[in-house]
Amino acid sequence: MASTLFSTARYSDSLTVVGISVCTALVCEAISWLLIYRTSSYKSLKSSIDKASKKLETMKTSDATAVSSNLIKKSSRTKKIDRVETSLKESSRDLSLFKFKSGAVVALVLFMVFGLLNSLFEGKAVAKIPFVPIRVVQKMSHRGLLGDDMTDCSMAFLYLLCSISIRTNLQKFLGFSPPRGAAGAGLFPMPDPKSS
Amino acid sequence: MRERKSGKSNLQQQSQESDHNSHSSPFKLAKLLDPDATWDKDQLCDVLHWIRQALALVFGLVWGAIPLVGGIWFLLYFVLSTTIIYTYYAIVLKIDEEDFGGHTALLQEGLFASVCLFLVCNLHISSFLKQVTSNLPT
Repeated sequence: MASTLFSTARYSDSLTVVGISVCTALVCEAISWLLIYRTSSYKSLKSSIDKASKKLETMKTSDATAVSSNLIKKSSRTKKIDRVETSLKESSRDLSLFKFKSGAVVALVLFMVFGLLNSLFEGKAVAKIPFVPIRVVQKMSHRGLLGDDMTDCSMAFLYLLCSISIRTNLQKFLGFSPPRGAAGAGLFPMPDPKSS
Repeated sequence: MRERKSGKSNLQQQSQESDHNSHSSPFKLAKLLDPDATWDKDQLCDVLHWIRQALALVFGLVWGAIPLVGGIWFLLYFVLSTTIIYTYYAIVLKIDEEDFGGHTALLQEGLFASVCLFLVCNLHISSFLKQVTSNLPT
């Protein structure tokens, strides 16, 4: 009886966390659209980054296939590539700064939501992980939980997983993903932090 | 010798058209299985991203429903989804990966979000089934 109640509560808890993550993602994107995405500054910066990165790709591709070994031509091509790269980096930096200023509001919303979830689910396992995570991950997955069962999943870990998956896909779906040419789109691209 | 489609001439053509619109050609569903179709880097990466998310959803639900417990199954999902993505762009679409940033750029598209989505689906299904089975009369 106790284990039934426990598993029932845990499943509804995990659904609650997912539901709140979805709502938070929608609210954050709405705020970001109001403060960032619909502004002309953002649109012009994004457009210049897209153009610069496409131009850079074309120049690097034609540079790689160039037959001529003329040193003067090579150095002028290299200088042009350097100029475009510098312009791309400056535009990316300006975009980051622009988003950072407006992202403070979204950060406040996220902080409040996390505080609410923490107060609701502190010390409670909201789900069961199907394997024992590695030690580094356990610090997050077993955060605030009692006992030695490392397959118990804390609210913070589930919320993190939901946030990353839901927000990344939502941004992609709405077309609010950061431009690919912008700096910081590495091996593990996270949802755009400046808008969240 | 396997034929590879080069995107170089496409890249130059697309750069000329990019001033007019952000996508060089309208996207059609038939393009997804057409090895002769021309691809813009953004379009291809978007398609690979959504395929990864669909695979994460399907594998997460199936793995959780069976249920497959253990880290080895998580690794198996990772290997399977990467293999499917590679097979899709290298064999079905016959893409020359050098023109789209290399294997790393194509394989990592949507990877992190898909891993998180897989875990979320897996957690939920296995928790739900645990609840159902614990409610069954003995």
